[in-house]
Amino acid sequence: MWRITLKGVAAHRLRYVLTALSVLLGVAFIAGTFVLTDTMNHTFDNLYTQIYQGTAAVVRATQPFNPGVSFTNERQRVDDSLASTVRAVPGVRAVALDIEGYAQLVGKNGKTIGVASNGPPTIGVAWTDVAALNPLRLLPGGHPPVNGDQVVIDKHSADVGGFTVGDRVRVLTQTGPGTYTITGIAMWGSADSPLGATITAFDPVTAAKVLGEPGKANAINVEAAPGVSQGTLVTRIQNAIHVPGVEVISGASITAEGQQSVHQMLSYLSVFLLAFGIIALFVGAFVIFNTFGIIVAQRQRELALLRAVGASRRQVLAAVLGESLVVGLVASAVGVAAGIGLAMGLKAGLALLGFDLPASGLVVSPRTVLFGLLAGTLVTVVSAIAPARRAATIPPVAALQDAAAEPRQPSLRRAWRRLIVGALGVLVLGIGLFGHIGNRLPLIGIGAAAVFIGVAVLSPFAARPVCQALGVPLARNSTTGKLGQRSAMRNPSRTSSTAAALMVGVALVSMTTIMASSMKASADATINSALRADFVVSSGAQAGGASGFSPQIERSLSALPQVSDVAGVRSGVVKVFGGVTPMVAVDPAKAAPLFNVGVTQGSLAAMTPAGIAVSTQAASDHHLRIGSRVAVTYPTTGTKVYTVQAIYSVRDIAGDYVLPIAGASSNFASALDIAAFVKLAPGVSTSAARPAIDRVLAAYPNATLQDQAQYKAAQTQSVNALLNLVYSLLALSVGIALIGIANTLALSIYERTRELGLLRAVGTTRGQLRSMVRAEALVISAFGALEGLVLGAIFGWAIVAAMHSQGVTRLVFPVQQLLIVTVLAALAGLLASIAPSRRAAKLNVLQAVTTE
Amino acid sequence: MQTSSSSRQAAGTAERAPAARIIDGVKIYGTGATAVRALDAISAEFTAGQFTAIMGPSGSGKSTLLHCLAGLDRLTSGQVLLGDVKLGGLSDKAMTVLRRERIGFVFQAFNLVPTLTARENVVLPLTLGGRRPDETWVAELAGALGIADRLGHRPSELSGGQQQRVATARALVTRPDLIFADEPTGNLDSKSATELLTQIRKAVDVYRQTVVMVTHDPRAATYADRVLFLADGRVVRELLEPTEDLVLDAIRRHGTE
Repeated sequence: MWRITLKGVAAHRLRYVLTALSVLLGVAFIAGTFVLTDTMNHTFDNLYTQIYQGTAAVVRATQPFNPGVSFTNERQRVDDSLASTVRAVPGVRAVALDIEGYAQLVGKNGKTIGVASNGPPTIGVAWTDVAALNPLRLLPGGHPPVNGDQVVIDKHSADVGGFTVGDRVRVLTQTGPGTYTITGIAMWGSADSPLGATITAFDPVTAAKVLGEPGKANAINVEAAPGVSQGTLVTRIQNAIHVPGVEVISGASITAEGQQSVHQMLSYLSVFLLAFGIIALFVGAFVIFNTFGIIVAQRQRELALLRAVGASRRQVLAAVLGESLVVGLVASAVGVAAGIGLAMGLKAGLALLGFDLPASGLVVSPRTVLFGLLAGTLVTVVSAIAPARRAATIPPVAALQDAAAEPRQPSLRRAWRRLIVGALGVLVLGIGLFGHIGNRLPLIGIGAAAVFIGVAVLSPFAARPVCQALGVPLARNSTTGKLGQRSAMRNPSRTSSTAAALMVGVALVSMTTIMASSMKASADATINSALRADFVVSSGAQAGGASGFSPQIERSLSALPQVSDVAGVRSGVVKVFGGVTPMVAVDPAKAAPLFNVGVTQGSLAAMTPAGIAVSTQAASDHHLRIGSRVAVTYPTTGTKVYTVQAIYSVRDIAGDYVLPIAGASSNFASALDIAAFVKLAPGVSTSAARPAIDRVLAAYPNATLQDQAQYKAAQTQSVNALLNLVYSLLALSVGIALIGIANTLALSIYERTRELGLLRAVGTTRGQLRSMVRAEALVISAFGALEGLVLGAIFGWAIVAAMHSQGVTRLVFPVQQLLIVTVLAALAGLLASIAPSRRAAKLNVLQAVTTE
Repeated sequence: MQTSSSSRQAAGTAERAPAARIIDGVKIYGTGATAVRALDAISAEFTAGQFTAIMGPSGSGKSTLLHCLAGLDRLTSGQVLLGDVKLGGLSDKAMTVLRRERIGFVFQAFNLVPTLTARENVVLPLTLGGRRPDETWVAELAGALGIADRLGHRPSELSGGQQQRVATARALVTRPDLIFADEPTGNLDSKSATELLTQIRKAVDVYRQTVVMVTHDPRAATYADRVLFLADGRVVRELLEPTEDLVLDAIRRHGTE
């Protein structure tokens, strides 16, 4: 039978090419994601190994709880005097103070180099002369910074900013802006800079002052004397120092920690990208199912002949599944190869976005190849099971009969089994969205897939009337339009599974659009009702992050006569009631006039440094009242207990807890404000105040001044950026769906050779034949787009309902946008019809009418 | 259409003017050693208002002759004239329009578009050209062909004979200069075949249609005004007022089916 299988594939290779393409694209995307993240992981593993090569041990403060590898720097500083104690330990060859903090380089054009919000980090460090403990390697011609006027910067920033040794450069730190002379340009290990981060190295005394606290360091790095192992050294240092809250870890551990933080960050990226790869494969599955279904129908006589000459049902089943196996394997193999190419492209794309990766070979792990081959092949074979089973039921006598009868409407008796698939999907999706479970994503994915399959198998019941209605405008105007409409109605099962592929893409796009609009509307509503500030000074940093701007901004602005109230917002990561969460801190007295957070009990203005404000939600979850005690654990200083002094209802702006800065800031690792809110003095207009505020902010290019409208626009913009990313990733799935439509049309045309020939004989011109195929494509794609719109609207409603507790309180259906999406998707069917319609028009009339 | 109406007038006035002619028609399939000469310098005339049957053994070129006359295929050399239009010089588009407006077809099988109703199939050549069907004419044809009560049905709901009659109505609906029938009774039982041939004969007699029919069936040939016998791509015999005996005799003499 294998010979027959291989010959079957070879004989129909043209029609298998498009089928293979639909698998290939999904596999390529998945393999590309793996290769890209593996390569990045590998690159950073090497980089960290290289950088900590000379570090045998690190002395640093402990973290009372582990907030995750992304927050490993959220810890207290140690006294730098500890360095001399450590230096005296036998086996220690040298020590270096590790001081790190925020340092933003400003380019010659007055703009920041790199963006703090969503770009690579902007880091300041202390220079050390101990080469083994310094990740920075000075390029020839440079010197280390030796006084408070000098810095060394990384090569990437120097290249971007056009700086050379001897130039003056402005640097923003927590103490405000300062200007320094560049004494050297350095590489970070073998890279220009890690991930395109900007690095500024100060002499240790200056570093402590501008990046941390004088007399303190984030950690003390230790170089071992020759022959002393890391383990021995760690034990010796542990025995030599007796400071509570200080830990000693080996160089190997710190390397692993750094590597792990990158792995985790990249794992988010890879999960995000893989999700779209899996969606693409899912859409591809519809295309495969459909193609094999059509091919089996077209080869009915051939397969019946096999049965007639003695092939068993099992053998026919095996022959068809064997073909799918061959197609799946070949497509997956090419897909994996294409994925490697894609990874190279993505890497170049990331470099354009500023995430420069050090040059290194692509990492193609056996896992990538295996998973790609397995996923693609499995999807192909599984999708071909139903058509193969249908092939096996063809009776031998069909070999002697005429071509298959016209397909009929599927019987309603079969509907209930299909309904169950859909209903189960709704159930699983519901649990995933609204259930109180840990990891919702897999359930949501499986549920949504089941709903899609359920709708796809049920839609043949609706295909005829809906396609008829959709085709009315085409049918009314021309005979070719009518013929196209009728062709789309002719085989409801085929039309439905063709449209289903497009349905998935359109549903996901519609859902995302509804979600994004609802998020924007909710954010707008919150800002409208809760924000009383006239201006927001924004750093672009997120709560819990490590960047922001100097609190000096708050002080300078409050000194302006035009300004009545200013409140800076500080943030850190903490553990409350067992959950790790970002926490914001403000001066409650200053914040009270700026925010209307709906205080229901107590008062913000009267809060003391020992107080905490909680949301009504948190209060009811944890049975809190005014006077209740709340334990907040910091990764830096451990557990502090606060007393509830205010309860507020609007949680969308600050979250569930707000601390007074006076009580929180000494526990936060970052001394930077992530934002500052400004209210103007009575009678001062925003336009009158703006120049004065701009003058203050001129020294801080990382701070952006936004009035309420601009602040809203900025929130919208970040949602839009994500939306566009999701759109472009879903484009892959829509593209595969279009391949599916093209494939179905091409196969249908092949099937209808005689009918098309007859049409040509009785006077249909080539142009008319083309427009007939176009009309058919249009009706099928409009059907899919319509299904997708309806399903997407329902999904959008469900997901917005599920996100209610995350502050998405408004449900918005952006009618215009949704209509544009639907119409564009329907018109995309025209794109899919180009090649098949040309093929139909090229048909030789004579061959068609004489075909036996 | 100026040309078609003027030619129809000409056909009406000059009763015996040829509706179609083939002059020195040569059709060669393939090249080199495998080349097949399907038509070998054939010449024939088809008089307006006449019913011609074409017979001949397999490979005699009768189907090729029909295809070339009907503008479905092109000659290698020589000329086909429909009225005074030379088919050789026409573009694909012009040829298509010519088929739509001046030629009717009845094939052996698969005559109808399965997604269209019988009525939609009948008027297809008109609607494709953007013309409105003449309702009284359609009704008259449907009545004459006995399909008046079947017009709303899909082809799959019609018997083989009914399908062929619908196809005949379609061939007549444009009042074409020529109707080509390729084994129209090939798939029918004898009763249906008789009915169909009677109706084609009636179309010639009543509507003065010119019909060219390829057939294997000697009985079918007797409905024609004359029979052309082909062998090896040439006309080897012409029979006027054929009877079944004459036809069988000619077949015996010029090769078996």
